[in-house]
Amino acid sequence: MSEGAQLAEAASGQDPGPGLRAVRALRELTERLEALQVDNARERDWSWQEIAVFLGVSKQAVHKKHARRRRGC
Amino acid sequence: MFERFHQDARQAVVLAQEEARRLRHGFIGCEHLLLGLAAYGTGAAADALAAAGVEVSGLRALVASEVAEGGDAGDPLDADALASLGIDLDAVRRTTEAAFGPGALDRSRGRFVRGHIPFTRRAKKSLELALREAQRLKHDHISAGHVLLGILREGDNAAVRVLATAGVDAGPLRDDVVRRLMAAA
Repeated sequence: MSEGAQLAEAASGQDPGPGLRAVRALRELTERLEALQVDNARERDWSWQEIAVFLGVSKQAVHKKHARRRRGC
Repeated sequence: MFERFHQDARQAVVLAQEEARRLRHGFIGCEHLLLGLAAYGTGAAADALAAAGVEVSGLRALVASEVAEGGDAGDPLDADALASLGIDLDAVRRTTEAAFGPGALDRSRGRFVRGHIPFTRRAKKSLELALREAQRLKHDHISAGHVLLGILREGDNAAVRVLATAGVDAGPLRDDVVRRLMAAA
């Protein structure tokens, strides 16, 4: 069996460990992609409101999550 | 505490930070200090490691697997875990780097880890012990060799485990480092 197939089996199996690890990794990936995309949008003068619409969240939520991080960089 | 560090020890610490970054670890541990010492290439520490048959690329692979086995300490962006969902992290990395430049995915680590990477408790302890090793040998500066002695003296760390995996005994390595330090003094 290939390594990928073994992993897929592990992730869909009964052992919670691999499944939880996969969720964590996916969340981490999502967070990083979101940060990149939000930074890019802000650099192109998109408003927080416009970004929020695309992300499907409130303007307050997206601002709270990213404004401070962006000021820090 | 770095004011008494000799140039080679400072450089090894800088290299340790680069090694941690390169391995995408969010901390500088004893294992990264060890890599930094080996990567520096000259002086008592690097020479003793080379004489013991340790070379940098092999060491880097051992450190990567040691940290990965440690689980939580590794990069949360876990390529194997993503592969289990059918996500090819290398492919994601390629597309984000094409759009946003090299290392884009690693620069945007959410709210955490930008620029500064902290030392682990054991790495700090090893650097303190390096000072003590220098004092014990009556040397007025801390060089890379003393840093290696500090790591070995701390004892219970990933660097020592990696060396053991590489077949290097701490005792003889320690003696060799001291010998080289005394010869250089």
